[in-house]
Amino acid sequence: MIQTQIALIRRELWEHRAIYIAPIVIAVIVSLMLITGQVAVSSFDQALDIAILGASNLGQNERAAAITFMMTATSPMFLITMWIMTIFYALDSLYAERKDRSILFWRSLPVTDSETVVSKLLTALLVIPLITFVLIMLTHLVILTIVSIWLAINGADAWHLIWRAAPLFDTWFATLIFILTLPLWLSPFIGWFLFVSALAKRSPFLIAFLPMVVLPMLEKIIFGTTLFAQAFFERSVRMPLFGGLDLPDFMSDTGIDKKIIAESGLSLVSLIDFGGFLATPGLWAGFVVCGLFTAAAVYVRRFRDET
Amino acid sequence: MTSLVSARNVSKKFGDFYAVDHVSFNIEQGRIAGLIGPNGAGKTTLLKAMLGLTDCQGSLSVLGLDPFKQRKELMQNICFIADVSVLPRWIRVSQLLSFIETVHPKFSRSRAEELLAQTRISASAKVRELSKGMVTQLHLSIITAVDAKLLVLDEPTLGLDIIFRKEFYANLLNDYFEEGRTILVTTHQVEEIENLLTDVMFINDGKLVLDATMESLPEQYAELMASGEDAERARALKPIYERDVFGKKAFTFEGVAREKLQELGEVRTPGIADLFVAKIKGAAA
Repeated sequence: MIQTQIALIRRELWEHRAIYIAPIVIAVIVSLMLITGQVAVSSFDQALDIAILGASNLGQNERAAAITFMMTATSPMFLITMWIMTIFYALDSLYAERKDRSILFWRSLPVTDSETVVSKLLTALLVIPLITFVLIMLTHLVILTIVSIWLAINGADAWHLIWRAAPLFDTWFATLIFILTLPLWLSPFIGWFLFVSALAKRSPFLIAFLPMVVLPMLEKIIFGTTLFAQAFFERSVRMPLFGGLDLPDFMSDTGIDKKIIAESGLSLVSLIDFGGFLATPGLWAGFVVCGLFTAAAVYVRRFRDET
Repeated sequence: MTSLVSARNVSKKFGDFYAVDHVSFNIEQGRIAGLIGPNGAGKTTLLKAMLGLTDCQGSLSVLGLDPFKQRKELMQNICFIADVSVLPRWIRVSQLLSFIETVHPKFSRSRAEELLAQTRISASAKVRELSKGMVTQLHLSIITAVDAKLLVLDEPTLGLDIIFRKEFYANLLNDYFEEGRTILVTTHQVEEIENLLTDVMFINDGKLVLDATMESLPEQYAELMASGEDAERARALKPIYERDVFGKKAFTFEGVAREKLQELGEVRTPGIADLFVAKIKGAAA
């Protein structure tokens, strides 16, 4: 059972190599950006100023906050890439095997349709985030090493300024929780994508996104209400993991501000309201929706006759 | 003998159209059965029902299992090649072997590697880098390495050149077919498998029009070559089919004593292909 599941997930990684190649590319880009000083996407420069130039003058707390900020500033690129990749992966996962007609081969093996679909769901919910997380950690280490070398060249004590000040494990733990809860929060979308992937005869991408645009429009025209639009929007931007912070806040460099980090007692983990997250009815409603769509995907794979 | 496959009144309807129309048959263990029919006759639908890929009406039992409800158990004891192109193109040969090794309790990786060593297929190659013939070789090597009771082949040699086709069936007989193993094969290229088969079934318009052992064919069917007056007299014996061969007439008879026919001309047992045409076209006429 578990053996089969591991083999199936390994199979997903063989087929969808973007799952690890994409975050590796992002990691390389982020590291290169730092090396060349071509800081285009995020406010690394600002963070670097504080971390490097101002570091020796700052107090322990501010320095730790600055370093945490510098580390978390790399996350949005990974997270955006991860989510785009998850969308493409989920939409492709049950569509490609029908397009290349390998589905008959896969179904000739003693593996049930549920086992197969579950392996694809687990890949989207767990494997993609974990791989992305490992690369975020590696990127942090690379960045801090580069900064340390820079400091050392300029005659500063990198060990003291950077490594002793950086709340590495706290940041990593918070990132891990965030990166694992994000797909859970967005799981109704993932379930929907799997279902479309199993169902679509062609253009799964279009079929997946058209209803998200058309349904809110129809609702507005016919009923004059915006329930769908609100549900989609709320789900997309407001993840109730960090008390008052919204996803865009966390994704952008203005929201999680050095001050908030500093005031939080230097702990990102302390910002996380895990109990509150679990107590959100929307999370569980999302699980139900995801479960229904996943079951529907299994049903379609099992009962559809391609001829 | 035990029936590996037992079908009673099996039907599959698409709307008002019967793709398979109340079909009944048995396949015994250790046989090589050919399922032969024109395109759209219901061959593939019937095979799919037997493999648990589609549901059907009637009672169908394969290895004592309900194929649709117990597909996973069934697939541990059945192998099938549905078409030459079904192996995923992105996978490496070694990955394919590892995957099957994990999910299939009856797969012997060493046996597969042994068989592949006799070919030019390297373990690091991706399926997309292999020629069509090599992909089929790979697929056959894999299923030969599974200790399965029943092998189902649906047009296994479609699109292959003649050398690969000959080799395919030679390998099938030498490597796969052992005591207790059973094969069910469908193909257009009837002549190629004629000598392999122990049983033959014809299907047309969803109905089984012939279900016989190869040994029983000479008793039931005869082909007579006749011309002129003899041809007229032959026609009176109600052949199921008639065709022109080099100025003579060839008649196919069902259930007519050979002694009677021998007076009219040369009599032999019809080949499967001719018999097939006679059965299908004769029924239509």
